[in-house]
Amino acid sequence: MELTYADGTEAVKGIDLTVPEGEFFGFLGPNGAGKTTTIKTFATLLSPTGGAITVNGFDVREESRRVRETIGYMAQETSVDEEMTARENIRFAARAYGVPKDERADRIDELLDLVDLADVGDKRAGEFSGGMKKRLDAATALVHSPPLVFLDEPTTGLDPKARNRLWEYFERINERGTTLFLTTQYLEEADQLCDRISVILDGDIVATGSPMELKRRVGGEILDVEVAAAGDASDTAGDIADPRERAAEIARTGDVFDADADVSVTDDGISVTAERARQHGTDLLVTLRDAGITVTGFNIRAPTLDDVFLAITGEELDSEAQSADPEDVTGSEVTAE
Amino acid sequence: MSDRSVDADARETPSELRADGDLASGASRTSSELRADGGTARSTSERLSGNSFLGDFWVNFVRWNLKAIRNPFVVVGSLVQPIIFLVLFTQVFGQIATGAISGGAAGGITYETFLLPAIAMQVSLAAAAGSGIGLVNDMEEGLFEKTLVMPMSRSAMFLGKTAAEILRIVVQIAIILALGTVLGANVATGFVGAIGIILIGILFSLWFVALSNIFAVVTRDQESTIIGANLLQFPLLFVSTAFLPLSAMPGWIQTVATFNPITYGVDAARALMLDQDVMTVVEVTRFTGIWNTLVPAIAVLLALDVALGGIAVYLLNRASSSDVQ
Repeated sequence: MELTYADGTEAVKGIDLTVPEGEFFGFLGPNGAGKTTTIKTFATLLSPTGGAITVNGFDVREESRRVRETIGYMAQETSVDEEMTARENIRFAARAYGVPKDERADRIDELLDLVDLADVGDKRAGEFSGGMKKRLDAATALVHSPPLVFLDEPTTGLDPKARNRLWEYFERINERGTTLFLTTQYLEEADQLCDRISVILDGDIVATGSPMELKRRVGGEILDVEVAAAGDASDTAGDIADPRERAAEIARTGDVFDADADVSVTDDGISVTAERARQHGTDLLVTLRDAGITVTGFNIRAPTLDDVFLAITGEELDSEAQSADPEDVTGSEVTAE
Repeated sequence: MSDRSVDADARETPSELRADGDLASGASRTSSELRADGGTARSTSERLSGNSFLGDFWVNFVRWNLKAIRNPFVVVGSLVQPIIFLVLFTQVFGQIATGAISGGAAGGITYETFLLPAIAMQVSLAAAAGSGIGLVNDMEEGLFEKTLVMPMSRSAMFLGKTAAEILRIVVQIAIILALGTVLGANVATGFVGAIGIILIGILFSLWFVALSNIFAVVTRDQESTIIGANLLQFPLLFVSTAFLPLSAMPGWIQTVATFNPITYGVDAARALMLDQDVMTVVEVTRFTGIWNTLVPAIAVLLALDVALGGIAVYLLNRASSSDVQ
């Protein structure tokens, strides 16, 4: 009763992955990383040039029509027929996916309800806002209740409110047992929605894990501290080193953070990445003040996609593999420079 | 989640890039996967191949008709120009043209009657040009890709769309013929001849439907497709027998007209209109009466439809295939 939904393709460089049934899986990466190529290959729009892909038990090359029958696909670009009403758009999809006539009307109403478009069901899609079109697009991908739905950067270009709303629908769909395969360039989105994420970079998966695991790679939260430059720091004792260097030294050697905290010097201060930067941040600020360093500003933030990439790719470049879980790093052997 | 499959282990290592089409050995182990759909209890999965070719055809036929009705401006708009031609040409050139006609094969008829079959073919051209525009529109809005992901027969998709366009051509030619009759034109072969003109119109439209789709697939740009179709349409109309008989035109136009598809469509429609053998570019005498025009015209149009249709089908196939290009 257990089954594999998707498997690896070499659409770009070489990806090997399995997404189990019911999972909300995320493909996280910057523009041009190969996300769309990969998802299009899974959805039979592109034929893999090597390797094997099985979607819902069907080979994408040999049984592409079977694959198409059992998946939903929502392209990056919103695709609804603007000349037709919301209802007609869904009806077309329902017919195209062979939803039986006696189920069709109910299914259309159910989907219009699901995406909150029931009250505008008979209006032309051309009059809809970007968010509404996207929701309609999502509904048309669900007409045949596919066990697996591909979402290619579904929220790119949407305002935060529309995005949050779309997220709710995805979660609802996932709760109904549908496996979702999402690509995104927003860490926040992957974090919010996904059970598991693969980070893709230049056509390779560089890391796979739950959002928590990935963030742990970065090492928790990031504390940016701005310090006054040497010139105008009147109360600085002595004129020895750059205050940024001194601050970094204090952060590294002091008792405030664990030894594995990552401290780097930035343009106007230091940046500390540590497990509990939020709790211990004030301690550092006090310590710095006691040391005679003027703090002009600080900010605590969650790691961004940039930070994740920096952490992941930085590890590779520095060949400090100590924290890189070899099981997670697949395909790295073909990373040709 | 305990349902992770071990299937991944059977896959190739990522570094092994395979040649196109080469299936990985032993990769499709489907013993458990074949039952994949049952696990999710989706009612649709029981009848995976529920779609028939005819069903797919119908879905697309309905969609494109719906879109045509939603855009009355396009349907009406593409009739406006031929109607303007019909009215203006007969009013402005009517006096002079009648002289030219009586010198040609079709003596003793009004210019309205002479011109109407040409206008019917012009309608057919204008409507056919819309085919590629519809396709390119779908491409630009991502709907083309969306329909490719749907489990429909590709041929049924394009046939359904083309059938909707042909329906539009039939309706528009019927409107033009009715209008022409009101303006004083006379279909000598009667109602059956009018049906014949419509059938010629369909046959005549297909090569331009194909050409318009070729423009669409090659340029993938709406404006280029429109410009491409229009750029061809008007010069071709003028260097054919559409507006004046061959004998009234200079030698070089006569030569061009011989190789111009429009001449064959117009001549065939005109033969039905006048109940006469009107073809002058190619002299065929093996048959009787209008068949001396109809047979060669239909042969030329069929050949053209097959040739351009073949190219269009090839290009559409390539555009909708999943092969990495």
